[in-house]
Amino acid sequence: MSDRMLTMAEAVREAMSIAFDERPEVFLLGEDVGIYGGAFGVSGDMYHRYGSERVLDTPIAELGIVGAAVGAALSGMRPIVEIQFSDFTAQAMDQIANQAAKIHFMLGGALHVPMVLRTPQGSGTGAAAQHSQNLEPWFASVPGLKVVVPSNPADAKGLLLAAIDDPNPVIFLEHKLLYKIPGRDPVPEGSERIPLGVAKVVREGKDLTIVATGIMVNKSYEVCEKLAAEGISVTLIDPRTISPLDMQPVYESVEKTGRLMVVQEGPAHAGFINEVIAQMAGSSSFGSLIAPIKRLAGMNIPIPYAPQLEKAAVPQIEDIEAAAREIVKNWR
Amino acid sequence: METGELLLFHVKVGDQVKSGDVLFEVMTDKIDMEVEAPADGVIETLVGNPGDVIEIGKPVLIMLTETEVMAFDFGGDAAAQVETAAPTPPPVAPAPVVAAPVVVAPVAPTPPPVAPVVVTPVLVAPVVQPVAPVITPAPIVAAPVVTAPKIVNASVKAVPKARVEAANRGIDLRTVHPTGPDRTITFSDVNSAQIDPAVLKRQAANKALIAKGIEMTRGIAQASFNRRAHANFDHAQLISAWAKVLRGRPDIAVHQHVGVSLIIESKYGSALPVFRDPDLISVEELRTLVTTTSDAAKNGKVPIAMLSGGTTTIFDLTTYSMSSATPLLFPNQVTSLTIGYDSESTKNISLTIDLNICDFYDGALLLDALIASL
Repeated sequence: MSDRMLTMAEAVREAMSIAFDERPEVFLLGEDVGIYGGAFGVSGDMYHRYGSERVLDTPIAELGIVGAAVGAALSGMRPIVEIQFSDFTAQAMDQIANQAAKIHFMLGGALHVPMVLRTPQGSGTGAAAQHSQNLEPWFASVPGLKVVVPSNPADAKGLLLAAIDDPNPVIFLEHKLLYKIPGRDPVPEGSERIPLGVAKVVREGKDLTIVATGIMVNKSYEVCEKLAAEGISVTLIDPRTISPLDMQPVYESVEKTGRLMVVQEGPAHAGFINEVIAQMAGSSSFGSLIAPIKRLAGMNIPIPYAPQLEKAAVPQIEDIEAAAREIVKNWR
Repeated sequence: METGELLLFHVKVGDQVKSGDVLFEVMTDKIDMEVEAPADGVIETLVGNPGDVIEIGKPVLIMLTETEVMAFDFGGDAAAQVETAAPTPPPVAPAPVVAAPVVVAPVAPTPPPVAPVVVTPVLVAPVVQPVAPVITPAPIVAAPVVTAPKIVNASVKAVPKARVEAANRGIDLRTVHPTGPDRTITFSDVNSAQIDPAVLKRQAANKALIAKGIEMTRGIAQASFNRRAHANFDHAQLISAWAKVLRGRPDIAVHQHVGVSLIIESKYGSALPVFRDPDLISVEELRTLVTTTSDAAKNGKVPIAMLSGGTTTIFDLTTYSMSSATPLLFPNQVTSLTIGYDSESTKNISLTIDLNICDFYDGALLLDALIASL
């Protein structure tokens, strides 16, 4: 193990580079991923290291980009698509939902689509409503897609390597605010994969179970630390893959803590995190609950442009802290 | 006249006596008289000695009767409150008394206790051997006195684990004080809820009763029927109508009389006063009798003559807002009725029959006939 503290952008670039080195059929395509190094600098110098044959700058045409990737994947390549903002996947949704996700099943399993679609998502950059969405439930509700939401650089590296290996189309949702900050944990050297569909228990406690995705894992972690100093111990679970979803650690934890809080950035209404609540409500662990399940999620509004409003539209550390405190205090 | 002198006993402990047998003689300042047994039974204890001067109302002897009364506190407080079952002596009679052990003491002032606790004893068999009149020495299962739990929280909101815990521990959530938001019962509310020790004792007693009941009813093939009835009726109407239906089927009502046991809950357990041939008096008369008997049972008095002779049983669940239950048959009975709450205007009527005596068709006919006559 190393003690290398990378940012998520660096970790993702490292994973792609490892995959490039391991497999000649892996290549990257997208808008400005080449000479410019990616809108958020994720591909960086890869164009210069691997050349224009493997790092392809494309026109501004998301449907065409993903369509080309699907075709390449069907032909034995392993494309990595970068869509500049996850909001723009709307343009490419036919290729994602109707082609990539379905072809394997429409053709009796004869073909598969080993494509990874990476895309930055989320609010907090002042980019307003059309560049700030969290669209996790769009993808999580399409059978045939796997959906990964890494919360830290080390996970991003291992999960992306596993996603590239995977014979199915994988949507890889990176949060913009995490690109530039180092993770809490060092990023290991080497090419170790983190299997898809396995949740991570980030920390263990006995008073409350928090399930959070993406950037909300980080915010919740800070809350956990703060509350721990007051004697409130919290289990924090990061599903890492939201489709398929690994609920087992959640059940096991709730059976110990009796309290469940779920946190996501996206709007509450029909959000992905509701799936966690639904599965809990239908499980045999339901009888362990000593408190109503608490949901923290974004407001049901387009992300505002004004910075204060943008902040208010999604859960912040103070919101998570207050909710956690309240649930533990009120329900005993 | 306040006392009488006990002259002699005509019986000794362990004797089986029949109703009308002379038990003892007593002398007062006005008359000497023989006191007769008010019911069939076995002499359990001679309380006084010949020569004793005994106050009116005090026990002279205790006899056990064949009875469907279950779960009374025979050894506890209730035993002190023995019933005066003087068999309507002549006007001048000094009314020395036969003490009957099977007596209920004061009634619970609060609503009925927890449903499971109440319902359970009904599912068991009576506490006598079916081969009357032989009576075993200790046929009455003693049960502790139960204080009806106080309902503090009628519309229960509780977190899931509180419900699980309450179910496991036999706690009625309506009796748990809610401390959570919006008057919701929290886990710790249930955790810290005290179970009345008497309830625990009674639950233990009930377990014993159930075991005994299962033992006694083993081998009786039973079937149950359920129908919804659009009818409003009181206990008297129901008892009368049911007795009429049974009387019309002597092949099923195999006893020489029709005795309808009505289960009445008191805080000491279930009392089952028997209304003998209730269809042979007017419903108005019966209504008065049912009312006074029910009140008496709730208040600790069941006339000894009404403690035996049941040939069918009625259990009214509606006061618990329960929709139905399936009671086991009492071994010496062929039928058992349960009335459940369905809506303001409808009831569920469940009938359990002994398949050794009648068949499914009979059961359906009986239930139809009853509902038609209500």
